[in-house]
Amino acid sequence: MTALSLRASAAEPRTRGPRGLVWVMLRVHQSALLFWLMLVTVAAGGLLWAYGPGADAAWAEYSEAGCGTTTSGFDCDMYGTAFQRYDNIVGVSSGLLTLVPLLTAAWAASALIGRELENGTARLAWTQSVSPARWLAAKLAVPAALLTAGMLTLTLLHRLMWSAGTELHEAWAVRAWDDSAIFLTNGTTATAHALLGLAVGALVGLLLPRALPALAVASVTTLAIAGALVELRPHLWPTVTVTSTDDVPAPAAVVRDGALTSDGSRIPLPDCLGEPGCLTKHDITGYYADYHPTSHFWPLHLVETGIVLAAASVAVGAAFWLLRRRTGGAV
Amino acid sequence: MTDIAIAAQGLGRRFGRRGRRALDRCEFVLPAGRVCALVGPNGAGKSTLLSLAAGLLRPSEGRVTVLGTTPAGARERLAYVAQDKPLHPHLTVAATLRLGRELNPGRWDESVARRIVTDADLDMDAKIRTLSGGQRTQVALALALAKRPELLLLDEPMADLDPLARHRITGLLMADAAEHGTTIVMSSHVVAELEGSCDHLLLLGAGRVRLAGPLDDLLAAHRLVTGPAQDSLDPHTVVESRTTGRQLTALIRPAGPVPASWQTAEPTLEELVLGHLRGPDAPALSLTESEEAAA
Amino acid sequence: MTAIPVTSVRTPGRLPRPRGLLWAVLRLHRAALVVWGLALLAAASFLFRLAALADEAERGDSACAEPATDGLPSCTAVDAITADETYSTGIAFVTACTAWLIVPVAAWAGGALIGRELENGTAHLAWTQSVTPARWLAAKLAVPAALLTLGTTGLVLLNVWARGADNPNLVGDWYHPDVFVGTGPTAVAHALAGLALGALAGMLLGRALPAAGAALGAALLLYNALDRYREFLWPTVTRDTTGWEAPRSAFQVAADGSELAFHPRSHFWPIQYVESGILLTVAALAVLAAFRILRRRTA
Repeated sequence: MTALSLRASAAEPRTRGPRGLVWVMLRVHQSALLFWLMLVTVAAGGLLWAYGPGADAAWAEYSEAGCGTTTSGFDCDMYGTAFQRYDNIVGVSSGLLTLVPLLTAAWAASALIGRELENGTARLAWTQSVSPARWLAAKLAVPAALLTAGMLTLTLLHRLMWSAGTELHEAWAVRAWDDSAIFLTNGTTATAHALLGLAVGALVGLLLPRALPALAVASVTTLAIAGALVELRPHLWPTVTVTSTDDVPAPAAVVRDGALTSDGSRIPLPDCLGEPGCLTKHDITGYYADYHPTSHFWPLHLVETGIVLAAASVAVGAAFWLLRRRTGGAV
Repeated sequence: MTDIAIAAQGLGRRFGRRGRRALDRCEFVLPAGRVCALVGPNGAGKSTLLSLAAGLLRPSEGRVTVLGTTPAGARERLAYVAQDKPLHPHLTVAATLRLGRELNPGRWDESVARRIVTDADLDMDAKIRTLSGGQRTQVALALALAKRPELLLLDEPMADLDPLARHRITGLLMADAAEHGTTIVMSSHVVAELEGSCDHLLLLGAGRVRLAGPLDDLLAAHRLVTGPAQDSLDPHTVVESRTTGRQLTALIRPAGPVPASWQTAEPTLEELVLGHLRGPDAPALSLTESEEAAA
Repeated sequence: MTAIPVTSVRTPGRLPRPRGLLWAVLRLHRAALVVWGLALLAAASFLFRLAALADEAERGDSACAEPATDGLPSCTAVDAITADETYSTGIAFVTACTAWLIVPVAAWAGGALIGRELENGTAHLAWTQSVTPARWLAAKLAVPAALLTLGTTGLVLLNVWARGADNPNLVGDWYHPDVFVGTGPTAVAHALAGLALGALAGMLLGRALPAAGAALGAALLLYNALDRYREFLWPTVTRDTTGWEAPRSAFQVAADGSELAFHPRSHFWPIQYVESGILLTVAALAVLAAFRILRRRTA
C-alpha cells in the first residue's frame, strides 16, 4: 500500500514542454519573460528596418540633395528627415541594448531573488525538494540562457545594420565605431555585460534580501561598473603609436598623446599658452599619439568580454557561497 | 523508513554574533510515526526548531538528525509549512499545484492535492493574492501533503482556519498518519484541540526543552493537587503553585505518595501546558517510550 | 459624585496634528531622505570644485593657431590644458543627473512610496490610525514634492552659476536635451511629474515592483517625448539664409530651400515656461487620478 502511494497517482496528466525547475522558472517569472521577448522583438524590428528601408531612404535623400559633390547646397549642412529618422531608430535600438544590463540587474536583485527571500517563497521551493543550490542554479541558468540568446541575436543584427550603413555613417559623421554604445553592441561585450548584470543583481539580492533596496543598490552598482569599464576600455590592448613633427596627430580612438624630445623621450604637452619660444625651451622635436586602429576591434572586445565574464563568475561564486552560509546545507 | 524521525543533540541557534539564543542546547528524540504537539509561549523557539529540522537554517551549535540523515539529505522526504504560508501571489491555485508537481517529480500525488482544494471550495483559476488567509493555508497544506512526505513539519497550521476546516484538516492529517505512518510535528496555541490528536509532546520554554515524551506518560507523571495553603509540597517536584486565600493549587511531579488530605487529578494537556507556562523555572522532564529517565 | 476630570484627551473627530504625519512620512522614508541629502551635498561640492576650474578651462578652449602667431597661442599648447576636459565632463555629468532625475524619482515613488505600502498592507495601518486615506496620500505627495523642489532648485541654480560664461564648447549648447532641462525650472517640473506618475502607477497597480517598472517606463517615455517635440513648443523664427549664416546658438528646426526655421537663444525662457506648464499639468492630472483611484479603493 505504501508503494502505491509513493508512486505518482495514475490521474496525473501527461505534460509536454518544459518540466521541473525550468517550468517553474518560466511560469513564476512569466511577466519578465514576456517583457524580454517584447524588447528583443522591438529592437530587432528597429535594427532590421534601419538595415533595409531606413538606410535606403536616408541614402536616397543624401544623393538627391547632391551632398558630397560639387552641387551640395545648404541642405547638406543639416540632417534631412529620412536620415534623422534612421539615426533615431539606430539610437533607440542601440540604446535599448545598452540598457539591458541595468534592467537585468534591477530585475534580478528584486523580482528574481530579493522578493522571494523577503516574502518566503524561496523557503517554499526549498521545502519542495529543491535544494537551495539547485534553486539558485536554476534562477541563474534560465535567465542567462534567454539573455544570451536574445543579446547575441540583436548583436548580429546590429553588426548587419552597421556594416551596411558604413558609407552613410562616414558621410554624416554622426556615430563612429569607437562610440561607447556602438562599440558595445557590435560585439560580444554587450552579451557579457548583460550576464554580469544578472550575476551582480543576484548577488545583491542575496546580500540585501529585500526587494526595493536590492533594486536600488544593484542599479547603482551596475551603472558604476559600466562607467568604470568605459574608462578602462582604451587600455585593454596595446596601442599603436604614430608620430609627426607638425602637430599632435589626431586619428580616431586616441588613448594618449603628447610631445617628443630630441632624445626620443615622451613628455606631456607643456602649457605653452602665449609663450613664443616655449617649444624649443622644452626641447620638443615632434609629437606622438597612441591610438587604436579599427583592426583592434576584436582584441578589445575579447579582452573586455573575458574580464566581464570573469567578474560575473566571481559574483556567481560569491552568491553560492553566501547562500550556503545562510542555509543549513546547500547541496 | 527509519525508526527515529528527529533526533536533536545539543541543538542551539542564535541570531547575530551576540544575539539572544533562540534555541539553547536542545536534546530530544522523536520516534517515527508519532503525531507530536510542539507547544510553548511566544518566542520560545518553536519556529526556529521547525526551520532547523527542515534544513532552512544552520544550527549554531549541536546538530539535528532527520530521518537518519542531515535535514538537507532528507529534503525530499519531509514537508514544511511555514507560519506565514508563503506562496507566489501572482500564480493561480492550479499553477501553484502544478509548481508542486514539477518540483517533486515521482513523489507527487495529484489526487490528494485536488481533494484538499476541492473540499475547501477553491476556484482553481483564482490568483493566490485574492484568497483569504484560511484559503491560502489550505493551498499550502495541499502542497505539503501531496508530496507524500515521511515527516510533516507544520508551524501553526490551524491558525486561520474556520472550525470546520480545522476539523477536516485534522482528520486528513490523522488519516495520513494512520495509513502511511507519517510523522507529524505540529506547533499550535490551540492546545485543547491537540489533545485528541497528538500522542507525543514537545514543550519549549525560552529556547530550552521543558517536556519531551509520549503524551500519556507525561500526563501520568504529573498531578494537579489542591490542598491547604500551609502544607509543604516537599519532596515532590513542583512545576508551579498558586495560593488563593487558604487554598493551594499546584502542578507537581509526585516523588512518592501524595497526602490523603489533598485532592489530586491527572491534568489535561491544557492544564499541563498552562502549568509549565506559568512556572518556567521548573526542571525539564524527558521521557522515552516505555522508560522513564529523570532529567 | 465629583465631575470626571477632563484630561488632555483629544476630542474624537479631530485628526492628528500635521506634524505627526510629516514626521511619519520622513521617518518611514528615511533612507530616501538620506540618499537625497547626500546626493545634493555631493553635487554641490562637485560644482564648487568645477567652478574653480572655469577660468583655466576657458583658456584651454581658446582659439589657437599652429604655429603660434601674434595674438593666438600655439594649438599644441592649448591642447595641453586638460582643465577644459575635466570641466566639461564634470558639468555634463551633473547636468545629465539633474535632467534625468525624473526616472529614479518615478521608480521610487511607484515602488517604495506608494506601491509597497499598498502591497504589504501598511497603508491600511495608517488609515486605521485616525488618518483619512486622502490626507495620507496628500502627505505622501507633499513632503517629497517640497524636498524635491527645494533640492532641485538649488541644484539648478548652482549648475547655472558654475557654468559661468556659458561657453557652448565647454558646457554644451542651450538646446541640447540634458542642458535645456538641467539649467531651468523644467528640471523641477520634470522631477515633480516623475513623483506624480510614480504615485499614479502605485495606486493603479498596488504592488511595488510592477509599479516601479511602469513608472520608470512612463518617465522614460515622457522625457523622450518632450525631447522630440520641444522644438514645436514655441513658434519658430524664419529667416532667409542668403548671405547670412546661422550662428551656433540657433536651434535649427527645419530648412526649406533658402529659408531656415529656428529658435534663437531668446526663446529659451518661453520654451522653459511652456514645457514646465505641460509637465505640471501632467503632474496635476496624475495626482487627481491617483486621488480618484484612492477614493474608489477605500470608499
